[in-house]
Amino acid sequence: MLLCDFHIHTKYSDGSVELRKVVDIFGQAGFDAIAITDHAVNGDSLIGKIAYKFRFTITENNFNEYLENINFEAERAWNKYEMLVIPGVEISKNYLSSDKSAHILILDIKEFIPPCESYESIFLQAKKQQAIVVACHPHHIKGEIRNTLYLWNNRNKYGKYIDAWEIANRDDVFNVVSLKKYPYIANSDFHKPRHLYSWKTLLNCEKNIVSIKKCIRHNKGVAITLFRG
Amino acid sequence: MILWIVLSIAVLSFSIYLLQIIALRRKLNENYNVDYLPPISIIKPLKGLDDNLFDNLESFCKQDYPDYELLLSIQDINDPAYRVAEKIKNKYPNLVRIVVDSSPRALNPKVKNMISAYRVSKHDYFLISDSNVFVEKDYLKKTVSAMSKDTGLVTNLIMGISGKSIGARLENLQLNSFILLSVCFLDKFLKMPCSIGKSMLMRKSDFEEIGGFNAVKDVLAEDYMIGKLMNEKGKKVVLSSYIIKNINEYWSLGRFLNRHTRWAKIRWKIAGLKYFTEPLSNPIFVLSFLPILDNFSKISILVFILGALLKIYFDIYVSRLIKTPTGISGLLIPIKDLLTAFIWFVPLISCKLSWRDNTYIIGKDTMIIPTDSVSSIRVIFNKLKTAFTN
Repeated sequence: MLLCDFHIHTKYSDGSVELRKVVDIFGQAGFDAIAITDHAVNGDSLIGKIAYKFRFTITENNFNEYLENINFEAERAWNKYEMLVIPGVEISKNYLSSDKSAHILILDIKEFIPPCESYESIFLQAKKQQAIVVACHPHHIKGEIRNTLYLWNNRNKYGKYIDAWEIANRDDVFNVVSLKKYPYIANSDFHKPRHLYSWKTLLNCEKNIVSIKKCIRHNKGVAITLFRG
Repeated sequence: MILWIVLSIAVLSFSIYLLQIIALRRKLNENYNVDYLPPISIIKPLKGLDDNLFDNLESFCKQDYPDYELLLSIQDINDPAYRVAEKIKNKYPNLVRIVVDSSPRALNPKVKNMISAYRVSKHDYFLISDSNVFVEKDYLKKTVSAMSKDTGLVTNLIMGISGKSIGARLENLQLNSFILLSVCFLDKFLKMPCSIGKSMLMRKSDFEEIGGFNAVKDVLAEDYMIGKLMNEKGKKVVLSSYIIKNINEYWSLGRFLNRHTRWAKIRWKIAGLKYFTEPLSNPIFVLSFLPILDNFSKISILVFILGALLKIYFDIYVSRLIKTPTGISGLLIPIKDLLTAFIWFVPLISCKLSWRDNTYIIGKDTMIIPTDSVSSIRVIFNKLKTAFTN
């Protein structure tokens, strides 16, 4: 089984660790596949504007550099740790209301997708790039004031575009995903080194991007584990 | 009068500290000639994920040494370290073997984890090395060079590096001052055998003469006991001048406190009354009594600050000697010294300690008393108490 984490932030957005060091933290711990998914925040809301002001977001301007650095690190990680590093973003549509907000992981992204566009447009662009779409922390998180409930509230409309739902995010488990029998993965939402010890995905497939994407989409041979040091 | 006594003790404390620094300098100037490079089995007990684990293990696969094997010993394939061990084995298949066995009986978990690996190890010389140790390519050569005919054990100095969190920075400061200097002082001036479990090179014939792992399976400080038994058998215990690196990057404050409380309890059980001389090597602790006894007068606070600055200067000097600059962490030195001063009191109250998810009670020479046997004694005691009180 491949030990995987598909939701990881670096200093490119609001993570506290540099990309290279993040790759090393996961490599040193024996991971098989990770995805770097820094925030790409919508700039059309107050929260989004603050993110832009403090550069807690990937923008169209730095996207290519971001992708280049991830690909460079991916090569290093493969040579050193035999660990796959998949480029991704977390499209973050942030509003004051939890019901309006949603975060979407786009895994194996190739071109920038503007986060201000409509959900449908974002999903279609992701599909065009053959990327994996994951609805992250889709339900209530304990102790969190601002949740991201939009996709869950509109699951009948958008469910067809979503390849997997986060059934667990860091320390939280969303049993609603299980009850609906939706395809699932579990991630750390890594921002700090201590987040290494959290929920993870185990995939029973070959260690390459095509197989991993297929495994997530078909959602067979997927398990979750609470990773402890 | 009492203030003058405190001040005199502080001066004595700084003098001891200076002697420790001299001991380190002398130790670092020691050199050995390499004339024999015997085949070596390196035994690495693994449990859980240490910071930098992959690189630590890989550094032992890149030794500039003619013939050696690396045995990664683990008790449970569900341990997260197993995955890392497998990756290392896949990368260096001819050098690395993984030994999985949880059957040996020993109360010391590290010893329990090494017994099977020791049994299957090929070479007469073997080296016990902790998983949180990183070494350079010349480590084996330089460590072996300190081995002579009458030597039973070669051990290494240790320093902490790469601290990023507060806990890790405090840990590295403590390793690079108190621990490093005390070991050198004991070795150079007091001629006491010091063995550090993070790196111990021995011959199997000598090791078996002292009783092998059987002799140390139920003590917590197996490294100390091995050194002591070697010394009693008339074999030299050599502290090599080669410094190995302990990578501590993301320790929590709790982990730092836990480790040094454990080590303090071990020192208390080993040293006995000599433990009471230990605060003398902590000048900041001694000086902290000055403002307390002098009602926080301006002059006492000033003397304390000057003492703290002097201690920072000394520690920075030590860090330069071992080529590991402290940087901004140097500001934490007084806090670290005060924290370890509080830790010093803990063994006087409790002999219970927790290590790697287990709780132990230790007796003389760190003999492990299983907690279940303690609880059964408590049950009997409580029953007797109830019988007599009713």
